[in-house]
Amino acid sequence: MELVELTKRLSGLPGPSGFEEPVCDWLMEYLRPVADEVRTDVMGNCIALKRCGKPGAKLVLLDAHMDEIGFVVTGARDGFLSFGMLGGVDQRMLPAREVRVLADPPLFGVIDTMPPHVLTEEEKGKAIEADKLYIDVGLSQEQAQKHCPPGTPVVFVSSCEELGSRQICGKALDDRACAAIIIKAFERLCGEALNADVCCLVSTQEEVGHRGAAVAAWALQPDAALVVDVTHGKTPDGPEVVCSCGKGAAIGIGPNTNRALTKELFALAEKKGIPYQYKAEPGGNSGTNAHAIQIAREGVATALISLPLKYMHTPVEVVCRDDMDAIVELLAAYVESLEV
Amino acid sequence: MLLDTIETLCCLDGVCGGEDEVRDYILERVMPCADEIMTDPMGNLMVFKKGAKAPEKRLMLAAHMDEVGLIVTNITAEGYLRFAEAGGLDRRVLLGKQVCVGPERVLGVVGSKAFHLTTTEQRKKLPAVKDMYIDIGAESREEAEKSVHIGDLIAFDDTVVRFGDGFIKAKALDDRTGCAAMVELLESELPCDCWFAFTVQEEVGTRGATIAARSVCPDVSLVLETTTAADIPAGKGADPVCRLGKGVVIPFMDRGTIYNKDLCALLQRIAEENDIPWQSKTRIAGGTDGSAIQRSGSGVAVAAVSVPVRNIHSPSSVATVQECEDQYKLARLFLEEMAK
Repeated sequence: MELVELTKRLSGLPGPSGFEEPVCDWLMEYLRPVADEVRTDVMGNCIALKRCGKPGAKLVLLDAHMDEIGFVVTGARDGFLSFGMLGGVDQRMLPAREVRVLADPPLFGVIDTMPPHVLTEEEKGKAIEADKLYIDVGLSQEQAQKHCPPGTPVVFVSSCEELGSRQICGKALDDRACAAIIIKAFERLCGEALNADVCCLVSTQEEVGHRGAAVAAWALQPDAALVVDVTHGKTPDGPEVVCSCGKGAAIGIGPNTNRALTKELFALAEKKGIPYQYKAEPGGNSGTNAHAIQIAREGVATALISLPLKYMHTPVEVVCRDDMDAIVELLAAYVESLEV
Repeated sequence: MLLDTIETLCCLDGVCGGEDEVRDYILERVMPCADEIMTDPMGNLMVFKKGAKAPEKRLMLAAHMDEVGLIVTNITAEGYLRFAEAGGLDRRVLLGKQVCVGPERVLGVVGSKAFHLTTTEQRKKLPAVKDMYIDIGAESREEAEKSVHIGDLIAFDDTVVRFGDGFIKAKALDDRTGCAAMVELLESELPCDCWFAFTVQEEVGTRGATIAARSVCPDVSLVLETTTAADIPAGKGADPVCRLGKGVVIPFMDRGTIYNKDLCALLQRIAEENDIPWQSKTRIAGGTDGSAIQRSGSGVAVAAVSVPVRNIHSPSSVATVQECEDQYKLARLFLEEMAK
């Protein structure tokens, strides 16, 4: 599947943090014909391996997370569902929002909002707190309780489409666009003679604290890890310091990223003419799986490559395909550059 | 089928002042069954059909073709669109929504800096509409101007979904349900002669109906509309205005009109005689074309039958199928009564 098509397909799969099974199942099916080995673990990670067959070969880990932000049903009132958040959801995006309640079978729902006709001017300008919002699934109290018990996950409904000539817009592009990137790089590497083993890890529960990647990195014991996640892309109302969509792979520099590895990535990008941009990562926690992987076992040399994304954690996240291509190139170039 | 007609009509774009697509479709449908068709410089469509009897009074049914939406007011140097509301919109439903811009239906999203980048204060408030923007994936004004222009109308991009226990979700249910009922009536045998006014620009001040009523000069007019429902848990303590599933609304008054008492009583009687549930609004809110029609010429006896709708001026408005069907039924019974 071509990169954009794969991204669209992944965007549409439902898999909020802790409820990623449909995404994992799809990924395993997709990766099985490509990889030497495909497996999952107790946290639900999808792990695909390609062995180069050379003795003493190092293992390079490519990571992106499969979970998306979402909601979980907490109860029902007059047939309307109350909900809590799975990950950081922007509550300003919720009124009149369409969702999919992942019951069996899944149900369509709308987060209802009070009509403006009955609001005061002050209320109209205020965001509504999520605990005052309910999902309308068009059911009675009894039906709602039966079909959508507490614990039922919920995701945004949003089609994934091309926006303008070079951008893509949809839900869950954080981080499924990056999952598509590492898969494309992995597929390419699987067809080549390499000097290193490669693992494509599509991990779970990143949005609630990098939990899936932590255990997968422990089990895999990689020698180096390239984590691919999204970073804020510049918008007209945002701060000046963020990266821009369309300006290339954003390579992270800071305590959370390995100096030597990061330097190699910059050098490779320069040498191969791959568009890139600098991204400072000031803290020990970059807010990505690099945080967990860097301190797995006795430590892993970890680099962070970010895909600039606009409107993070909304149903209309936007990324640029050129940046995605750049990251695929950079990941592949790194593994290809390794010597025995 | 009424529901098919509603679904088809809701998928067409007809933001105030740009109702052409809706009018063209209706015209094509009603052309074969009409006895007389008139249009006017504003774009109203007035259709006459003979029935079994010629009533003493000149009758006019009315529904509006326009829907609330947005209009492009400026294009920034970076290629983002600034916009204003066309019709009364609740700005709380705008952020993170997909929209279609201009005649080419260019996909755009209402952007907003990621909530991670907002202050606690900003998170609680909504930006003013003048500070919001639409991202169409263009990287400059020049690129944007290849597909969109200042003054282009912007409609919500959404699908029709049937869900829950007899519910329908769509944009523009206000007032395509009324338009659909009139189309279906025109395609059936009528008990008496009747004019049908499909009006423009209701949402910006009942402007189309003002002149349509002057062309038709009715003695009696029934407006087929939708009305706002706040029957959601978030509105606890607040007035629900009307409730979905409790019947069509026969309003005694709203902010524009005190409806004709005899006509209201007549509608209530025929609803009850035919087991059609009805309710009145519990709050004086909203308005209809009735206000313009009532005061046209030397005065017109006006009543309305409205379908209760949740999230009414949003891309995800919700109604019940039963009440859409009952609106049609009651309008038909009204004509039968007029034929007596």
